[in-house]
Amino acid sequence: MDITVKVNGNEYRENVPANMTLLQFLKGRLLLTGTKDGCGIGECGACTVIMDGKTVTSCLVLAVEADGAEIRTIEGEAGDGQLTGLQEAFIEYGGTQCGFCTPGMIMSAQDLLERNPNPSREEIAEAIAGNLCRCTGYEPIIEAVEAVARKHG
Amino acid sequence: MIRSFAYVKPDTMEGALKALQTENSRPLAGGTDLLVDMRNGLLRPDLLVDLKGLEEMKVFSVDPEKVLKIGALSTLNLLIDNRKIRECCPVLTEAAFSVATYQVRNRATLVGNICNASPAADMALPLFILEAQLVIACPDGERRVPSLEFMTGVKKNALKRGEIVVRVEIPPAPGAKMAFLKKQRVKGHDLALINVAGLADKKAGRLRICVGACAAAPLLLKGTDRLYKDIKDVDRLAENVADLALRTISPIDDVRASKEYRSDMVKVYVKRIVKKICS
Repeated sequence: MDITVKVNGNEYRENVPANMTLLQFLKGRLLLTGTKDGCGIGECGACTVIMDGKTVTSCLVLAVEADGAEIRTIEGEAGDGQLTGLQEAFIEYGGTQCGFCTPGMIMSAQDLLERNPNPSREEIAEAIAGNLCRCTGYEPIIEAVEAVARKHG
Repeated sequence: MIRSFAYVKPDTMEGALKALQTENSRPLAGGTDLLVDMRNGLLRPDLLVDLKGLEEMKVFSVDPEKVLKIGALSTLNLLIDNRKIRECCPVLTEAAFSVATYQVRNRATLVGNICNASPAADMALPLFILEAQLVIACPDGERRVPSLEFMTGVKKNALKRGEIVVRVEIPPAPGAKMAFLKKQRVKGHDLALINVAGLADKKAGRLRICVGACAAAPLLLKGTDRLYKDIKDVDRLAENVADLALRTISPIDDVRASKEYRSDMVKVYVKRIVKKICS
């Protein structure tokens, strides 16, 4: 099936099989390998991207369902080699270790900050509850998001 | 990898119903249960009929004094973010908020949760206690099914081939107190070990308590109105309703909990919810 998708501002026209997920499309077809494939059943959040302004687990979206959609992935966050404030904060506070959860985590946290520039600790924890991290214990991640909120708040 | 299938996205209800007449077809809304079941090989449809092009399923009419109409494409986050629903039907908000994670709730729909018909379906409970009706489109028009009669078994619902749920209608319950509680091990990564919803309407003398994950489908307790009328002491009422619940449920052992644990938790949570809505 033919689909037209805008990913990080670039438009792509592709022919995809119906059983291809958005995750497979991003990684395998567009070679945007930043988004990670974890559990494949919407539980770990490693594949989180922003689709038409809303975070989704891209393993549970078919590529054909994304026809006409605008997608944001981790590759689009740092423009011109310049990290976003949130990415800087992740480095500063140690919010990333092995890095596998980080692309999804950044997308969830960035989406939260865009919806709610001044989130409480509880709101941050709720927003990233769908992103599993086995390294950090979450505290440094929450601190990083808090730091960005403080800067802008 | 998901087994291959055909995909259509009709833009009229007529087209959707026609497509769903196809053998081994499945409707697709949020896909958060369907795609998991397909990936795991539990479902092997030959055709997916994407409903997201159907305007009639996007209805979202929330006037606290009138019947709430929630279209089948309404996501759980759409419900959660709606202030009017939080004020007039907080039990819907609470139940929706307990489901999965933020990203999943951006796709998962209220109607999908009911159609998936899990014994632990969180959204069934508020619909049961609010006496919601499901409006179903069928080849010869529309029919209505009380939500209580919709789930007919584990992962089974009352839809016949070629039918789809268009919307849920919820009658207003002014002045009623309502609440939802769920026992789960980890927020966002677990289905309910048990879940409980309750509604108390003092004026009308009605007490409705629904218990989930303890039978093939969530159960609405029978005889609670009588207890509510007869017993004025809230603690004693809570004890009696909890005993009634224990006589009604038939929990099983599974990966999430033993039947003994489920029974104990039903007792605790039913008491808790009765005290919460009857005090």
